[in-house]
Amino acid sequence: MPRKQSPRSPVSRALAQDRLGVPAVLFFVLAGVAPLTVAAGVIPAAFQTTGLTGIPAAFVVVAAILALFATGYVAMTRHITNSGAFYAFVSRGLGRVTGVAAALVALLAYSFLQVGLYGALGPAAAAQAAADLHRHTPWWAWALGAWAVITLLGLLRVDITGRVLGVLLCAEIAVILAETVTGLAHPAGGRLSFATLSPAALTSAGFGTFGVLAVVAVLGFVGFEQAPVLAEEARNARRTVPIATYVALSLIAVVYAGASWAMAAHAGTAHVVAAAGRLGPGLLFGLGGSGGLAGAAQWLFLTSLFAAALAFHNAVWRYAYALGRENVLPAALGRTGGNNIPKAASLAQSACGLAVIVVYAVAGWDPMTRLFFWLGTTGGFGILVLLALTAVAVVLFFARDHRGENAWRRLVAPALAATALTGIVVLAALHYATLLGVPAGADAAWVLPASYVVTGLLGLGWGLVLKLRRPRTYAAIGLGAHAVTGQLTPAAYRTGS
Amino acid sequence: MTGLRGTGRLADDLYLLAHHETTGKPRLQPRAAGLGLAGALLAELMLAGRIRCWRGLIIPAGDGPAADDLAGRLLGLVASESEHRPGRDWLLYLAPTATGEVAARLAQAGYLRPAPGRRFGHGARPVPADPDSAFAPLVRVKSALRSPGRDAQHTALAALAAAIGLSHHLAAYLPPHADRRLAEAAGHLSPGLRQLITQAQAAVDSALLAHRV
Repeated sequence: MPRKQSPRSPVSRALAQDRLGVPAVLFFVLAGVAPLTVAAGVIPAAFQTTGLTGIPAAFVVVAAILALFATGYVAMTRHITNSGAFYAFVSRGLGRVTGVAAALVALLAYSFLQVGLYGALGPAAAAQAAADLHRHTPWWAWALGAWAVITLLGLLRVDITGRVLGVLLCAEIAVILAETVTGLAHPAGGRLSFATLSPAALTSAGFGTFGVLAVVAVLGFVGFEQAPVLAEEARNARRTVPIATYVALSLIAVVYAGASWAMAAHAGTAHVVAAAGRLGPGLLFGLGGSGGLAGAAQWLFLTSLFAAALAFHNAVWRYAYALGRENVLPAALGRTGGNNIPKAASLAQSACGLAVIVVYAVAGWDPMTRLFFWLGTTGGFGILVLLALTAVAVVLFFARDHRGENAWRRLVAPALAATALTGIVVLAALHYATLLGVPAGADAAWVLPASYVVTGLLGLGWGLVLKLRRPRTYAAIGLGAHAVTGQLTPAAYRTGS
Repeated sequence: MTGLRGTGRLADDLYLLAHHETTGKPRLQPRAAGLGLAGALLAELMLAGRIRCWRGLIIPAGDGPAADDLAGRLLGLVASESEHRPGRDWLLYLAPTATGEVAARLAQAGYLRPAPGRRFGHGARPVPADPDSAFAPLVRVKSALRSPGRDAQHTALAALAAAIGLSHHLAAYLPPHADRRLAEAAGHLSPGLRQLITQAQAAVDSALLAHRV
């Protein structure tokens, strides 16, 4: 954006008015985070499946690492186009071939996250229907119902509007805080324990457990990386996106660390794993007794899961659409039908969701553990890999040209983040069985993480093919919506400050 | 008052292409239509030689009276800015009002009229006065694509329509492989027009990816 224009020009003023401030960007980011989905869904499932109690501490430590990461991430946002996507950073820092691999890994990771949500949505809706309506329907029937609605809304290009999401979001956070405060006021044995918040809890069962806990925490933070999507629309490129990102990180850290600490304190550190297995999402809802708060929380849990599933559905098709636009994926994914609806990209994600629900229903696998938690954490693991790659990309991008950024933002913070994130990726990969709660050597413990290796290798191969056979497509990799301008007028147009 | 030859203005034709020929119902999301019509208004000035696009910047050119009030106002704005702005800025600036202004110009020319018996609570959506005239831009696009390089205005119209999300609509009425024809014909357009069209496409895509369409 040009910055030299006279501030009094009517055009400048009108353009500035149409831009988004910190609250709008913050709401956009938090809307994709769906706090109750994590607090009532992920955290109890993580206690139960991993058997680890250091989750509250992990949220705090991971928030600090992500804040380091965000320093370089938001700095680079100012210098590239299509900054809403990890692969744009990777393409510019580590080269376009790696960028294609990152793009496919991201698509798979977000897809895992989206599909996994049906595994919580189905059972939660079934339980609610059994309790309130006395109707007993299998989880997959509810999951298919939710899938059908999301498919339809996706085709109608409906995003739940900002206001509805804002109300839901505030209600969710209020409920979580109320449950947290009540839980902490009634600790097990009458004495409040800080054990789960201490750094020692991170490595309670060996150093490797930190990797496992960090994946769970990263899963909770997924969505914080979305603020740069709005970089081009933000009021102040240097301030709006960074402030929204840091505020989102802090808010999420406080809410999740608090909620998980309250659950552990209320049930007792020694008993929280067993309690989580018995109660599931009820571990959170039970903190405030079984009154109106619990009832409201259960309904909000459903709306939160649904909003998250729709938000991720829209995130996945947007990713696929951008890649289709760049001709990295089939161009059909980058076409729109009537009303600018990218039908192919939306339907492709719906097809994945349907296939997964059907497979789980036919196989009779447990939806909460094997679908919601396994695919959810695997999605979180994929995001972790992308965060690590992106941190490296930030360092290399600025190594070629400082672009006026100071050493802390362009080198020190991203290098520290890259080291920490890479360490977590390695630890998590080595202890994937603990993450899934399966015996070491079980198939799922290597098949799920290996899916990223296969996807990454396919991406590298495809990237090389594009480099050798389709130089025009190759040149535009990572430009997203600007792929068209990038192809026709390479140096003529560039956004960023 | 209306005729199958239309008003001879690119943005008017794009408006008619982007709305149903009998009901006047939009075929695009409002922001996409606004960005496209903003691009069409700039393209009109470019075709008339009153602005040019240089390294992505919009620069005033030529002199003489403007073709109509809307063009005159736009030209005045472009000239009044102290520094040249990129096409993207102009697209974003004009987008919120472009659809309404083009509709008003079309209504004045007799091509649109207020919708009869509109539902309570909906804004007045104008409907085409004559479905045949409203459909005619598509026919003109078809004939322009038959001989690439001859008819810059309707080639630009088709390229802009495809760029902002009307390609499925064009494909439904144009012969098979028209997209290839269109790409070939668009290659004959001036570099300035091509830049403007790609900037409109990028702006629509950006809005879509940033959840603002």
